[in-house]
Amino acid sequence: MVSVVSRATRVALREMALEAGAREAATVVAPFVVATVVLAGLGLGPRPDVLRSAAPGVSWLVVVFAAVPLARSVAAAEREEGCWDLLRGLAPASALLWGKVAALWVWLAAAWAVATLLTAALFNASTTAMGALGGGLGALGLAGVTVLFGAIIGAQRRSGMLAVLLLPAGLPALLAGTQASTPGVDAGAWIALLVAYDLITLAVAWAAFPVLLEG
Amino acid sequence: MSRGAVERVLGVLAALAAAALVVLGLLVAPPDAVQGQAQRLMYVHVPAAWVAYLAFAAVLVCSVAYLVRRDLAWDRRAQAAAELGVGLTGLAIMLGSIWGRPVWGVWWTWDPRLVTTVVLLLVYVGYLGVRGLAVDAHVNARRAAVVGVAGFVNVPLVHFSVVWWRTLHQPPTVLRPAGPASAIEPVMLVALLAGVVAFTLGAGWLYLRRLRVLARRAAPPPVSVGARPVPSVTVVRGDGE
Repeated sequence: MVSVVSRATRVALREMALEAGAREAATVVAPFVVATVVLAGLGLGPRPDVLRSAAPGVSWLVVVFAAVPLARSVAAAEREEGCWDLLRGLAPASALLWGKVAALWVWLAAAWAVATLLTAALFNASTTAMGALGGGLGALGLAGVTVLFGAIIGAQRRSGMLAVLLLPAGLPALLAGTQASTPGVDAGAWIALLVAYDLITLAVAWAAFPVLLEG
Repeated sequence: MSRGAVERVLGVLAALAAAALVVLGLLVAPPDAVQGQAQRLMYVHVPAAWVAYLAFAAVLVCSVAYLVRRDLAWDRRAQAAAELGVGLTGLAIMLGSIWGRPVWGVWWTWDPRLVTTVVLLLVYVGYLGVRGLAVDAHVNARRAAVVGVAGFVNVPLVHFSVVWWRTLHQPPTVLRPAGPASAIEPVMLVALLAGVVAFTLGAGWLYLRRLRVLARRAAPPPVSVGARPVPSVTVVRGDGE
């Protein structure tokens, strides 16, 4: 158990180091988040009340859509350097999974935070503490399915299939996350749904990931 | 009984059940007091949705069986069930939309049951799309099995969406705690059950036929006993010409 946690931490730190070097996620996701929020403002505006009410949904749509390019990079660096098989030999499947989920959770939660700050500034929307909790929980479950589907399709042709698989899989995060961060909505049940979503997606990812590493 | 005979019996039974459905649904059952003639679409819409759930449950079982046994026959069973489920889900959405226009006044509304059903359809379209990504049949089967297992998580979400969320779609009629008698006239219930039987038998017949096609495609090409040997090629090393 300790060995898996320490190896997963090392895999997560390695992902962070890769990102610090290549800035892959930052260069892909940050401009995408900014462009989407600004374009959503233009598309849905200019009525301030419409923009304010749409803000939580826009933030979550940005996060779910950002998962698609992030899924392509799940094992991209390793495959490009030809060390994917070596890494699979060195670290157990569960350590690889949790390390990659942790790294992706950071990117997705950061995408949600940036989108929420932008909508707060541009749409004059307010955020709640339960909304922030929902942001963290929703990003965790989404990170689980992103790693799973990224491992299946990330380096394949037909990468458009990623959107077909990931966008529906992100529906519970989109729905419950949006409701949890909408002011005036009782967030308790939606937070419970997000916890259930996290448990189910992470359990399925944990059970299925070793099978995907076979080839 | 051979597989061919089972197919024939299923086909005949499905045709008989479909005929019973037509008679009961169009002639015997009265029009709904509120919805009028449009309600008759429920005798095909509900069975299509139910058999689609059944097909997706079969995908789950066959996917798990493949992951345990690593036998491509289970993968073919999962694929045939997924194709059936996708077709029936598409049919259920289309029929629901046709019913919604006169009853709700719109072809489509942002209702949790409708949205989650479309999401379910997309998940299994993705499941079928994952196949063919790799050359190795077992790699394809493994990936598809993982999506098949993960995708089934959506099925209870679709079914219980009308219970968990405030929705325009009506709650379950047959599988309600108080029983179907409190929600539907007996003659309408019989027509609905005839629809469920007809769709289940018809789907079973289609499933067996599709399995036969998939098994034939997967089988190695037959070797002809009297085939002429391929002439050998002699490579001459030297100056060439």
